[in-house]
Amino acid sequence: MGLLTIIRKNRQKEKEMRILFLGLDNAGKTTILKKLNGEDILSVSPTLGFNIKTFAHGNYTLNIWDVGGQRTLRPYWRNYFEQTDALVWVVDSGDRMRMKDCKEELHSLLLEDRLAGASLLVFANKQDLQGSMTDVEIRDALDLRSIKSHHWKIWSCSAVTGENLVTGLDWVVADVAGRLYYSTMASPIQAPVPVVV
Amino acid sequence: MSDSTWSFSQTFASEFQTSRAELESRVDLVKAPITADALNTLSSDLAKLTKTLADATGSVPSYDQRQYELQLKSLEKSLENLRASLPKSKFAFKRKAPAASSSIPPSPVPRAVPDAASQQQLSSISTNPTLSSHSFRYLSRDSLPSASQASDLTISDLNSCIVNLLPAIDGKPLAEGGALEISALHIRNLTDTILLLPVIRGSVLLHDLRRCILVVGCHQFRMHTSTDVDVYLSIPSTPIIEHCSRIRFTSYPTALSPKETYSNFFSVQDFSHIKATPSPNWSAMPTDALVRRWPVSTISSEKELTDILDTLLPR
Repeated sequence: MGLLTIIRKNRQKEKEMRILFLGLDNAGKTTILKKLNGEDILSVSPTLGFNIKTFAHGNYTLNIWDVGGQRTLRPYWRNYFEQTDALVWVVDSGDRMRMKDCKEELHSLLLEDRLAGASLLVFANKQDLQGSMTDVEIRDALDLRSIKSHHWKIWSCSAVTGENLVTGLDWVVADVAGRLYYSTMASPIQAPVPVVV
Repeated sequence: MSDSTWSFSQTFASEFQTSRAELESRVDLVKAPITADALNTLSSDLAKLTKTLADATGSVPSYDQRQYELQLKSLEKSLENLRASLPKSKFAFKRKAPAASSSIPPSPVPRAVPDAASQQQLSSISTNPTLSSHSFRYLSRDSLPSASQASDLTISDLNSCIVNLLPAIDGKPLAEGGALEISALHIRNLTDTILLLPVIRGSVLLHDLRRCILVVGCHQFRMHTSTDVDVYLSIPSTPIIEHCSRIRFTSYPTALSPKETYSNFFSVQDFSHIKATPSPNWSAMPTDALVRRWPVSTISSEKELTDILDTLLPR
């Protein structure tokens, strides 16, 4: 039995995935998580530090880390890279003025060794707002097509209406599962069920 | 240490030192007004070098490795300093003045020069309402195209203006269909300006305000790199400031809102002062400094406008 097989077997038993939510401030990271978990989104304040949510998604347990995106907090993002299976990059689709900033932060993350191999899901959030940039415009603004080092996909979504949140999460979970647990891909994935932590 | 590792570390050391010295000399050569492009090239070269070092981990003696890391760190520091000296990129999305409402002629001197990157973004298909590049004007809803749906509004590059987007002016309700529902606000680069905004559903994101008064109600509030701003706020969550100074908070003026407002402004969170001590960058507004008479009706004379701004703005 090779080392890789042992590692795979071990992870298969746990069936856990570690997902990191990052993005500029005001992107809606915490709101997306609260919405996915069925919590009230009206009282969400800007995140100082981080939140952790654990919930079951299909046959997997997702450990989601949501780290604040204010400029002063960004240097701390690197503390959360270890063992990350997927990176979810959340974008405020109405924030045209900071798309360049957003692109630079994302591309510098992708250079990180500890994130090598992580799947990348880009959420083009706030699609409920009229005049938001579309997913295609954001794909181009963030130059996603130049990314060769990671599996990536962009989904337009809205944390307020809940549109595409589960669909996006399905994609990222399936992508990670295909990599880590390729022998157990048959199981269908259902909507997330909250789990008491 | 085996011969092969030894020779690897020798080769690595010389290659690494060459690239580092080259990068260092490039950083030193940079004159004060560095362009964003040059800076990006430097940062990406530094990132590559850092990666080379990380890849060599284990094949280089640990003392050397530490030395290399320290050298890279000092390079990173000088880059960081350069980045700080970089002029803030200013750009604005301009909207052609609608032919019908000629009451607001285009500003004589557009203050912002869009850079190449924003030009590219301008060519994108979707747009959102924008109020930008005006000075010495009273701006109201007429200055904006009316939108049927809730939309994201951008306000940028204003100097000595009063912006009034309150739902009713002079107590008269707005005509049917003329209402503008704002769901999120992006505000950047305002000087000596008063903003009278309604209570909106979404979030407000602000950058670079100098000597301003802001009246707004929102779901989330984030203010960055601003000084001397008086904020009249209604909010159900915690407002935050970052890299700001001399910001004063108070509640949304009841005279300007028919709706009930929130006022937990005393729990402002300062991200540049994450300590147990109170932040020196904001305070509650003293009652005697509150504005009593709001400039809610249109002012056409420039003299009158500057007089009002002089009286009301924080100094």
